[in-house]
Amino acid sequence: MSADTLLVSTRKGLFVWVRAGAGWKLDHHAFPGDSVTLTLVDPRDGQWYAAMNLGHFGCKLKRSADRGRSWTECAVPAYGEDDIVPVGDGKETKVATLKLIWSLAAGDASQPGRLWAGTIPGGLFKSDDLGESWQLQRELWKQPERGSWFGGGYDEPGIHSICVDPRDPRCVRVAVSTGGVWRSDDDGESWEQTAHGMRACYMPEGQQDTPNSQDVHQMVQCRSAPERFWVQHHCGVFRSDSNGGDWQEITSIEPSAFGFAVAVHPDDPDTAWFVPGIKDECRLPVDAKLVVARTRDGGNSFDVLREGLPQEHAYDLVYRHGLTVSDDGNQLAFGSTTGGVWTSDDQGDHWQMLPARLPMVHAVCFA
Amino acid sequence: MPKLVLSSALARWLSGDGGAVGASRECRLDVVGTTLAGALDSLFRQHPGLRGYVLDEHGRIRHHVAVFIDGDSIRSKSDLDVSLNEGSEVYIMQALSGG
Repeated sequence: MSADTLLVSTRKGLFVWVRAGAGWKLDHHAFPGDSVTLTLVDPRDGQWYAAMNLGHFGCKLKRSADRGRSWTECAVPAYGEDDIVPVGDGKETKVATLKLIWSLAAGDASQPGRLWAGTIPGGLFKSDDLGESWQLQRELWKQPERGSWFGGGYDEPGIHSICVDPRDPRCVRVAVSTGGVWRSDDDGESWEQTAHGMRACYMPEGQQDTPNSQDVHQMVQCRSAPERFWVQHHCGVFRSDSNGGDWQEITSIEPSAFGFAVAVHPDDPDTAWFVPGIKDECRLPVDAKLVVARTRDGGNSFDVLREGLPQEHAYDLVYRHGLTVSDDGNQLAFGSTTGGVWTSDDQGDHWQMLPARLPMVHAVCFA
Repeated sequence: MPKLVLSSALARWLSGDGGAVGASRECRLDVVGTTLAGALDSLFRQHPGLRGYVLDEHGRIRHHVAVFIDGDSIRSKSDLDVSLNEGSEVYIMQALSGG
């Protein structure tokens, strides 16, 4: 099924776009002026969730049952006074406070009310009442390895990717920046590190292969072939054919291996998209040309897609939640730090820009 | 009875409509309590949803929220056992930082 609504979360509100002929038109602008960091469309009941970071007034979570026309406030994940954040790069240990809701995922149809939320400073939370209350997943929180996690771009570590296995919703995998990939097969009762095979080029010699040091930027799981995972990592692209363990580095991506976002075709595990940039302290499109890299053969080769994308003076960076693919695998959308949003109806062969100069884009999502 | 004033940036979240900009203006409320903590409890009884906007999850005044009592800034974000007079005015506003 093609998608007819696109949710664009920005530094200055949520922009809701709808199909208009061959293009898109703005339907409405929710939360004008407020930072919306990401959205979730719950496939079980169609409700929308918007995570916000109000700065002065903290992180909030809103829910809409009428496609964004009205919103009610949910609870947000909360830490206790005794929850501390040790950081593995030498920063001082702090009392944990919610800094950002960095990922949201819906449970399975067999789990009514179940939501997952990944946060900065590194806690995973579970809700069984559609966000009215949240429970910190303490078995992951008390893993000794958490003391070696550190922030990647933020002062504190965070969980930005949550994959609920379509074969068994008790099997949940999360990715941490910076702390590798963690897997639970029992609904969060126990956890193990599975980032084996990744390579952290920023670590000292001898520590680059340590799974707990891996800076995963985003992790996605193929819906129809759930044993296949893709990762955009700080140091490159990785693929797992064995359920999120035993990762292989993909070195053929062009024009660069650095980036934040990855999307996988829901029904074709060999097809995935990335938005490369110059590593690491630079974080700009290579040669100021904005492109998308697509593989159709599991990463053996890549097409560099540029039709309809700016090919001069482009300084757009696409964050980890800034690229999405529709349920049928044909439509794509991505948004950038400089407020451009591009869509494609043909798996990325051709792109068109939304007719707007938006605020900084944090995330995009089809609805 | 102490008065409590919410700056417009906070008062916009009282409406329950998602905080739409435009309808907001400074809001004055009568509260009961002989301390700042008591006055805030009185505020949150009237507007439960506001608690998370003023306090963090540990019960401290948020880092970027400023509280003035009769014109003077409070000295601690965590010690809210500050005496109020019958005619005190508690002013809650966004700190002029970040954002």
